[in-house]
Amino acid sequence: MNGELLADVFLGAAALFVVLAIVLFYRVAAGPTTQDRLLAVNVLGTNTVVILALLAVGLDETSFLDIALIYALLNFLMAIAISKFTVERGGVL
Amino acid sequence: MIETIRFWAIVALVAFGLFFTFVSVVGVIRLPDVYARSHTASQTDTLGAGLTLAAVALALGWQHATVYTVLLLFFVFITNPTAAHAIARSAAESGIVPYENTVDEEGESP
Amino acid sequence: MYNDGRAEGPTVATERLLVPLSETVTVRQTVGYAVRSGLERTDDLECHLVVAMPSDRELPEGTSEVDEAESLLSKAESWVEEDAEGSSVTVETAVLGADEYLFGPRDFARTFASYAAAHDVDRVVLDPEYQPGSTAGIIQPLERELEAAGLAYEEAPVERPARHERLIGDGTQRFDRLFATFVISYGFYMILGDPTYWFDWVTGAAVAGIVAATLANVTFTFPLDRVQSPLRTVRFALYIPYLLYEIVKANLAISVVILRPSMPIDPKLTRVDARVRSGLPLLALANSITLTPGTLTVRADDQRLIVHSLIADAREDLFDGSLERAVRFVFHGRDSAAIATPRERDDAEIIGGEEL
Repeated sequence: MNGELLADVFLGAAALFVVLAIVLFYRVAAGPTTQDRLLAVNVLGTNTVVILALLAVGLDETSFLDIALIYALLNFLMAIAISKFTVERGGVL
Repeated sequence: MIETIRFWAIVALVAFGLFFTFVSVVGVIRLPDVYARSHTASQTDTLGAGLTLAAVALALGWQHATVYTVLLLFFVFITNPTAAHAIARSAAESGIVPYENTVDEEGESP
Repeated sequence: MYNDGRAEGPTVATERLLVPLSETVTVRQTVGYAVRSGLERTDDLECHLVVAMPSDRELPEGTSEVDEAESLLSKAESWVEEDAEGSSVTVETAVLGADEYLFGPRDFARTFASYAAAHDVDRVVLDPEYQPGSTAGIIQPLERELEAAGLAYEEAPVERPARHERLIGDGTQRFDRLFATFVISYGFYMILGDPTYWFDWVTGAAVAGIVAATLANVTFTFPLDRVQSPLRTVRFALYIPYLLYEIVKANLAISVVILRPSMPIDPKLTRVDARVRSGLPLLALANSITLTPGTLTVRADDQRLIVHSLIADAREDLFDGSLERAVRFVFHGRDSAAIATPRERDDAEIIGGEEL
C-alpha cells in the first residue's frame, strides 16, 4: 500500500516541478539579456533532470535515469556552448 | 515500522526539494539582474535537485539504479557551477554592469 | 663596464640577458642558447639567471620552493660556465617574488620587467616550456604580457620532444598516469554496466585501455604522487560534508532573503586573491564558491577571483576564507590550512561594477 502511495507522491511532485518549470519560461521569454535566458534554461534543464528521476521511480521505469544522465550532460554542454558563443573570441572557461 | 519511517523520510525530502526549487524559481523571477539570479539558480542545483534525488535514491533502495542517481547528483554538482560561472563570465564580457542598491533598504549593511 | 672603445666585434657594449628558469626538460638548452647567442653579439656578456617563485616564503610550501630554486640556480650557473668556454661571462642569480604571491602571467611579467629595469637588461630569453610552480604552461600569456610591458624577449629555439610527450616525466610517472586513468575509467564503466556480466568486463577493459592510452596526459597535467594523490582523495571526501553544511547554511539564508516581500538584497562585486594554485585547486575553490548560494565566481583569471555576492552575510563568510582554508587542506594537508583570512592579509575588497 505504501508503494502505491509513494508512486503517487513522486508523480505529484513531478507535476509540481513541471509547474515550476513552466513558471521559469517567463524568464526565458522576458530576458532581457541572452545570459538571463540562458540561465533560466539551465535551471529548467536541472528541473527536467529531477522530473525525469521522479518519473523513473513513479512509473517504475529505471531506464529514465539513463535519459536523465544524458540530459544533464547535454544541459551542461548547451550552457557552455552558448555562453562561449556570446563572447566574441577567447575562452569562457 | 521501518517502512513507515522510510515513507515519511521520502515525503519530507521531496517536500524540501520542492521548497528549495520553488524559492529558486521565485528568485529567478524576482531578482534584479543576471548575476543575482545566478545565485539563486544554484539553489536548484544544490538543495533542490540534491534532496529530491536523495528521495529517489531512498525509494529505489539498494539496487543498481541507485548508483545512477548518486552519479547523476555528483554530475549536477560538478557541472552546474561551471555552467553558472560560464554564464556569469559571458555576462561580464558582454559588459553587463551589476545592479547595485542605490537606496538603502532596511538595515542590511553590516 | 660600458663601451670601452674596442673596435672589433659586432657590438661592444655589455649585453645583459635575463633568463627566467624553471625545472623543465628544455631549461638546459635554453641556458645554452642564451650564452651562445649572447656571445655572438658581444664579448662582454652578463647573464641574469632568475627563478620566479609563485608563492611567498611565509607559506608552508614556500620554504621548500626556495631550496629548489637555489639548487636550480647553482646548477644553471655551472651550465653557463660550461658553455662560455673561457669567454668572460658575468653571472648574476636571483630568486624573484619570494616576498609576494605571484598570481599569473601578468604578475610574472611585471616582476621580470621591474627586475629588467633595475638591472638595465637588454633582452629576455624565454624557455619555451617555461612553467613556474606546478601551474599549467603560461608561456603564451606571458609573452603577451611581456609585450605589453615593453620588454624585448626571445624564445630559445630548443629541440624538444614531440608535443604529446611534453608533460610526461620519467617512466614511473607515465605509468602512474596511465594506471590512474585506466582505473578511474574502468570503474566508471563498471558502475554504469553490469559487474556480474563477463562481457562488460571485457569491453570495459578495452574501452578503459583506449581511454588511458589516449587521454592520460590530458587528464593529469600535474605529476601524480603515489602517497599524496590518494591522500588528497581521502581529504576531498572529508571536504564534501563540510561543503554540504556550508551549502545548507547559505541556502537557508538566501531563501529567507528572497521570500521576504521587501527582498533586502545588497549585491556587491568583490575581489579575492585566493592562495591556491591554479588548475584543480582553483577549480575546486571557484566551484565551491559558486555552489554556495550568495556568492558567485564571475571571473577566475590567475587566482584573482572576482566574486559577486548577494547579501552581506555571504560576503563576510567569503572574506573569512573558510572555503579557501578547506581547499588548501584538501590539496596541501593540515599544516597549509592555517593561513590568515583574506581580510587579514588584505586580499579582499569590494569593487565597483566597472572593474569587471
